[in-house]
Amino acid sequence: MIPSQMLKGTLEGCILKVIGQRETYGYEISENLRKYGFSDISEGTIYPLLLRLEKNGLITAQYRESPVGPKRKYFSLAQTGKEEVDRFYSSWLELESAVNKLFQNGGN
Amino acid sequence: MNKKAKELNRINNSLDKQISSENKEAFTDMICYLRGANISAYDQEVVRQDLTEMVLSAQQRGETICSVIGEDYKAFCDNIIASLPPETARQKVIDFFDILCWALSILGAINIVMADETIHLIHDLITGRPLGFRIPISLGSVISAGFIIVAAIVIVEIFMKKSFEIGKRKQTDRLNAVLISSGFMVVLLLIAWFGRATLFTVNIFIACAAVLALYIIHKILANV
Repeated sequence: MIPSQMLKGTLEGCILKVIGQRETYGYEISENLRKYGFSDISEGTIYPLLLRLEKNGLITAQYRESPVGPKRKYFSLAQTGKEEVDRFYSSWLELESAVNKLFQNGGN
Repeated sequence: MNKKAKELNRINNSLDKQISSENKEAFTDMICYLRGANISAYDQEVVRQDLTEMVLSAQQRGETICSVIGEDYKAFCDNIIASLPPETARQKVIDFFDILCWALSILGAINIVMADETIHLIHDLITGRPLGFRIPISLGSVISAGFIIVAAIVIVEIFMKKSFEIGKRKQTDRLNAVLISSGFMVVLLLIAWFGRATLFTVNIFIACAAVLALYIIHKILANV
């Protein structure tokens, strides 16, 4: 399990990436993340993040009819969101490379 | 609450009925807590709609609210509140005067209806005696109105902020409720007893017009 403190900084970028693949909704995003190995990510965990991403203009939301009754919120990536995904991924690669270097060569 | 929020509120109220008894308590606690948050009424309803959809979808999958949200409902709500823009100062002022006008119109109407002079006026009207249109406003009724409004606001605020705690320890909460309401009754009786002196008198038609004006202002502010 990935510690929640470690997840905090990366989850938003990962959610943006999932939304970038196709228009989707909360539960589907959490299921997708689980498939990629993000265990323990419930819809409730990502809902506040989705609200924040929407407020910051990185994603847009649209309500559509759902089979259960209330309208379901579908999210898609805004232009600024696409730029943010690229920025996040390059930052991630930089971090990953630094951590890898440290752990592979740091002991020597 | 503006028109958009009211419409959403109406839809949400009807959808609430589909929430199972198993999930009802946690769901109601969360909505109650969000009601007390510093976010607009419209955002509260939007979040309520989203949560309703989440819970109903979970029910359909055979899951509970706990599996969707986790066990810390308060932390979940705090995260939501932190993700939304705070209510503007303008809206807060509007909401305050809306509640104030509404409360004053209700208390004013009760005072007019319950006044001895009103009953005498109706009696004199039936028996054909000369009519007296002035009703006295006592110091006690002015202080009581202020006390009732402040107490109501404080009680509602406490209920919303402590929604995850209130009602969980049934016996203690029941005892507290009895003690607090008894305390209120004592204070109100003392105010009524010591504040019997008439502050001023007012024509009953002017009093009715003032009550009506306050109610109209409330209706206007409620739609802003």
